[in-house]
Amino acid sequence: MNDYLLPLLVFSPVIGMIMIWLMPKTEEKTLKQFGWIGTLMPLLISLFLYQQWLTGVSLSSYQIKWNWIQFGNLAMYDDTLYTIDFELSLDGFSLVFILLTTVLSMLAALASFYIKTEWKGYFLLFLLLEIGMLGVFMADNLLLFFLFFEVTFVSLFFLIGRWGYVNKEKAAYHFLVYNGIGSVLLLFVIATLFVRVGTTNIDALTHILNVGDVALLAPISPFLTDMLCILLFIAFAIKLPVFPFHSWMVRVHREAAPPVVMLHAGVLLKIGAYGMIRFGLGIFPEQVEKLALLFMIVGVISFLYGAFLALVQTDLKLVWAYSSVSHMGIVFFGFGTLNDAGLQGAVFQAVSHGAIAALLFFLIALLYERTGTTELNELGGLAEHLPIFSGVLLTAGLAALGLPGMSGFISEFMAFLGLFKEQMLLAIIAVIGLILTAAYTLRAVLKITFGKKTYSMTWRDVQGIEYVPIAILFMVIVAIGVYPMWLGQLVQEDITTWLLRIGG
Amino acid sequence: MTSVPLSAYLVLALILFCIGLYGALTKRNTVIVLISIELMLNAVNINLVAFSKFGMTPAITGQVFSLFTMTIAAAEAAVGLAILMALYRNRKTVHIDEMNTMKH
Amino acid sequence: MVDNAWLIPLFPLASFFLLLLFGKRFGSRSAEVGSLFTFVSFICAAVVFTKSLHESSYKQTFNWLTVGDAQITVGFELNPLNVLMLVLVSFISFLVHMYSKGYMNGEKRISIFYAYLGLFTFAMLALVMSPNLLQLYIFWELVGLGSFLLIGFYFHKQEAKRAAKKAFIMTRIGDMGLLIGMILLFWQTRSFEYSVIFQAVEAGDISQSLLTFIAIMIFVGAVGKSGQFPLHTWLPDAMEGPTPVSALIHAATMVAAGVYLVAATYPLFQASEVALLVVAVTGGLTALFAASIAVVQTDVKRVLAYSTMSQLGFMFLALGTAGYVAAVFHLVTHAFFKALLFLAAGSVIHAVHTQNIEKMGGLWKKLRWTGPLFLIGTLAISGVPLLSGFFSKEEILLSVWDNGNYFLFTLALLTSLLTAFYMFRLFFSIFGGEEKTPIHAVKESPMIMWLPMIILAVFSIGIGYVQTPWFGTFLGDWLTNENSHHEFSLWLMLIATIVSGIGIGIAYILHRKSSLLTEGESSAYRVVANKYYIDELYERTMIVSTKAVSRSLVYIERYVIDGFLLVVIRITRMFAKKATKLQSGQVQQYGAIAFLSLAVLVVVYLVAGGYLR
Repeated sequence: MNDYLLPLLVFSPVIGMIMIWLMPKTEEKTLKQFGWIGTLMPLLISLFLYQQWLTGVSLSSYQIKWNWIQFGNLAMYDDTLYTIDFELSLDGFSLVFILLTTVLSMLAALASFYIKTEWKGYFLLFLLLEIGMLGVFMADNLLLFFLFFEVTFVSLFFLIGRWGYVNKEKAAYHFLVYNGIGSVLLLFVIATLFVRVGTTNIDALTHILNVGDVALLAPISPFLTDMLCILLFIAFAIKLPVFPFHSWMVRVHREAAPPVVMLHAGVLLKIGAYGMIRFGLGIFPEQVEKLALLFMIVGVISFLYGAFLALVQTDLKLVWAYSSVSHMGIVFFGFGTLNDAGLQGAVFQAVSHGAIAALLFFLIALLYERTGTTELNELGGLAEHLPIFSGVLLTAGLAALGLPGMSGFISEFMAFLGLFKEQMLLAIIAVIGLILTAAYTLRAVLKITFGKKTYSMTWRDVQGIEYVPIAILFMVIVAIGVYPMWLGQLVQEDITTWLLRIGG
Repeated sequence: MTSVPLSAYLVLALILFCIGLYGALTKRNTVIVLISIELMLNAVNINLVAFSKFGMTPAITGQVFSLFTMTIAAAEAAVGLAILMALYRNRKTVHIDEMNTMKH
Repeated sequence: MVDNAWLIPLFPLASFFLLLLFGKRFGSRSAEVGSLFTFVSFICAAVVFTKSLHESSYKQTFNWLTVGDAQITVGFELNPLNVLMLVLVSFISFLVHMYSKGYMNGEKRISIFYAYLGLFTFAMLALVMSPNLLQLYIFWELVGLGSFLLIGFYFHKQEAKRAAKKAFIMTRIGDMGLLIGMILLFWQTRSFEYSVIFQAVEAGDISQSLLTFIAIMIFVGAVGKSGQFPLHTWLPDAMEGPTPVSALIHAATMVAAGVYLVAATYPLFQASEVALLVVAVTGGLTALFAASIAVVQTDVKRVLAYSTMSQLGFMFLALGTAGYVAAVFHLVTHAFFKALLFLAAGSVIHAVHTQNIEKMGGLWKKLRWTGPLFLIGTLAISGVPLLSGFFSKEEILLSVWDNGNYFLFTLALLTSLLTAFYMFRLFFSIFGGEEKTPIHAVKESPMIMWLPMIILAVFSIGIGYVQTPWFGTFLGDWLTNENSHHEFSLWLMLIATIVSGIGIGIAYILHRKSSLLTEGESSAYRVVANKYYIDELYERTMIVSTKAVSRSLVYIERYVIDGFLLVVIRITRMFAKKATKLQSGQVQQYGAIAFLSLAVLVVVYLVAGGYLR
């Protein structure tokens, strides 16, 4: 069983894809239900894994390694040289993101009930996207990671460009170009490492490059290592994204369909964070240490820049989009601190923002469904007619601005705790951003819910199945906020290992 | 009998190849260009046969390959000439620099 | 009981969830539900209070999060200060719950109102039980949330919306100070626990300058929460909330959290003279500054709001001059009489449906209960002898005098004078004189409203006797855990009484001449009436500059970030156009280029002797 669980998890959405594929494309209701059911299987498996972890089963026992590709015939030297295996593995850190993926996919599939056209293609791509995301977080070698990464890239391109708002195609092309550049850089790094070191397995790479007890076929000069590290970080900084690579993400958030944005903001941006921590810190610890100050500065700039811009947007989607830029800045500087508190803050922030952003964009879907607009100037006084929706929006906004008791606070707090240790002055400047966060969130939320009604109609309030995503996401947000230990324990061990590599 | 050294074959092949290349790149008459290409292929054949005799591990493979090349060259010449005939019927010319319609 | 004290805040929390989820079903009975839960928690608090009169402090914690090698814990702590606050908060909260049943009668969203009250009470009770700074900060923000929600309760009003937003953001500015101070302390001591921090401070592990900075940063948090200058502007605007809320949050409990914070971290301040001086001066200046504004306001709630600011300034003045007990004492007495005043004012508003004192007058006969109760509150806050305010104010004056800073002492006396004046100005213009514009029948409020006021009035009179020069200093002994020697200074009492008397006298004379409310024409009057233009100043500086930064960043976004993108696109396109020219259709040309390129590559390879390293 253990030998097949991870591949089963990765490819379990295929079942849903087959079911959808067999249906005629006019069966709207069935297609939507199948799409949703398709996300349940990975959810169950990932929950099972979490439950196993709780009972003390070592996650590394699920690791698999199947022979896959072999280049050349160098078996006489070393049979791992120039081979690429199909290897998946799991640790606490990746389990966190897998849980995030499966939960958000299920909820986004529910939110996809608002999709108006071409359900068949939509759900096929949606499930393909889930395969990609799951694979990314489990891949144990760089090439496999890259392949799954490209799967998300391609499926997302069509999801953005096909089912969105007015300028969706343009947004999709922005996404394509920026992420294409990111992919090229990533591929270059992977290829170089493979050629020089002869493997793409992450643990092996880490060992060979940092311990240095293996003579390389073609040695890597320090300069080239620095360059590879920088390129890798540019690739992930585009994905994250941080200033100044953020403009594609703002466009995607504005133009793509809300369920797609839920996944995009909730999970896909986190691939950037995941990659930076796992590969950046794993393979290039020394180089990362050299660049740490830069990361912190860029992170703080990103944080403030996003906050300032969110303050003057007139479209709720754009407010949340810039708020994502700002929050990803926190991840970036939290990572840059390279200490316990900061790294933990970065991971927490990645997860927390995943839940909060998904909730915020789910609410966008609800809002757009009812009012047909997300323009702040056209909305007002919704608390009168839609008290529950307004309450939920306000609470989600409060979660986003980092109110204690919810996940946003603890992650921001940890990241700042780390930043204060390394760069006190920078941290004090960054604190301004926390005030701005409150300002822009309240401005947007209160504009919509409070004040005079701008027009009245008989919109219905939140009802039925719409409660499910709201309730689940709130549960996650509050659970992290009230008792962060459960999340902390999952990643603590890994953080300690990474830090040992730097300090050790 | 003094055997002819490997380098002699190679130099001959080189000269043939260069003549072929020169012809293929400069001649305006398409027929001549085709003939030049045949010349280059034959230069390669000489190399193949030479190495099959004087290579590090002499084997019959090189000679077999040269037979292959000849076959391919024959087919290529047939197709090339056929295209050329078709072109000539349409354009009333065999000048290669007038056959430049395949551009953007 | 004591080890289960953590239950106390959970009752109001339960009430919050219950009312939020099933509020519609409870309807107008929400008031009873909310009151019941608060009452239970008050009873528990009272039991804990009686127990802890004899016991020393009690603390219980468990791990919450691990940061590297440091454990962050949560839990609760019961020391005299905490228990005092606990019982005070739950008591006043319960009374306000009761009162609100009458005041909010007929309100459609009453269940929401009570839910918010529950949330606030929960956060406030948990705040005063916190054993460490992080937990305090968490609930510090949550009481801010409660305040924000209740200020914005009438969400359809533009003013309420603006006031709620302003309250949240202004206090958050202060909170950031607290956050900075707290994190700096953590990296100095590796802990948020008070006990660990105080030990480190005593041992002198933290450099003096850093300690001063930290103390001032923590004080900034207190300034934001307690509406002290310069972060005070939200407090008067917060009066947009329902009046019982103003009584509970913006008079008796939450705004006093700032004082509580400084009191709870007092060893930090004691270790730094500069920080103490900053506290004292800020407090003293705010006291006078707010009192002067209160003199010219015409909105009854705003007068009381500025009065609250001024009284809180008094407490900070005491804290800054080493009058720890005096500050806490005044906090307690102020909580009672200011809550009484607000509730009485609410009762007046309930009766006449206006907040403008120019439209009131002669209500003494109409409001049989409210009138005398308001008078008791007024007398107490003015420092008339034998009422609670007199004792606590005297105590503060004493500590300022002992400190030897005569500038601050003068400030304090002036404030006392102004306090007595504006309070009686308020009293006379509401209850004295002729009745104005009888739009509709003025009716006394129902019993559910005046009963809590009577209870508060009793305490406003009597609570002062827990700390007097004559009968002993119970409060001080208990708080500081030692028999404090209390000097008796008759002359100070005399001066305080005289000063109050003068204030009342002026108010009475002006009232007789019926020129209490006449507007002055002088520029000084205009400056004060416009609250020293502080709001306008912030509007013109902070808000405008923030917006300017945002706007300029929009241009950067549009022209630099997107512009760069555009340039890249243009260059690519230009290059592509040029490159297509290369495709000439001349096969021989292609061949030549390919051959030449190969040749170049071979040469490069030969020269470089290998590939890039």
